[in-house]
Amino acid sequence: MTVMPTINGGIKLTPESDKDWAVLKAIAFDAHEELAARLGRLMDEESMWEDIVVPDLKTHFSGQLDHVVKAVNEGKEKDEITIPKEEGELWYGALNQARLGLESKYHFGQEEDIEPDELEEEERQGYLRGRFYCTIQTVLMEYVLEI
Amino acid sequence: MNAVDAPVRESVTKKKEKTATPWNVVVFDDPVNIMEYVARVLMRIFGFSREKAEELMLMVHQNGKAVVWSGGREKAEMYVQELHGSQLHATLEKSS
Repeated sequence: MTVMPTINGGIKLTPESDKDWAVLKAIAFDAHEELAARLGRLMDEESMWEDIVVPDLKTHFSGQLDHVVKAVNEGKEKDEITIPKEEGELWYGALNQARLGLESKYHFGQEEDIEPDELEEEERQGYLRGRFYCTIQTVLMEYVLEI
Repeated sequence: MNAVDAPVRESVTKKKEKTATPWNVVVFDDPVNIMEYVARVLMRIFGFSREKAEELMLMVHQNGKAVVWSGGREKAEMYVQELHGSQLHATLEKSS
């Protein structure tokens, strides 16, 4: 897959194989299902986080995933995906959810402690998807995000 | 008259003490969020300079957590909500 910045301040993803598309489709699958609730559990009861904030966070996070799923499906027809500047944060958030989901499932920890060839196959695939997502995030951060 | 006034004064004092207690916004380290992203989120939410945000981000990374802001509970909750929206692990704790 090629990831390139565009002249309009976005980036373009050009998958080169079915495997590339499969990884992009896995973003929503890998995403942490209970992220909003998990963050909410960090708060005390007095804050009423579960009732007041968690529902909004769930909507916010699922909106990021819905956007990416739609963009990947539409991109498949054109053999490329363009991420405009204004959609950079949605993509970054969805990729982050996927990486948090993988971390929650496999507990990779710090990257320097990982030896991919020593992992079980499913875990190794998860690790490699996580690295792939992180690479796109890094490009988004360098060229697209304004935060 | 005095017997009635005394508890009222005490209650007001206690209330003032309670509302005046600062709350800390604490950000936790995690192995997923990119360090540069954490620094940028701190700059955006709290209006920190890059230098200050990077200093706090490194404290989070090296110590496992860091207090990034202290003040009233309501505002602290607002900040934590924004941090959670950015997928950072954060909470509130009463300042000691």
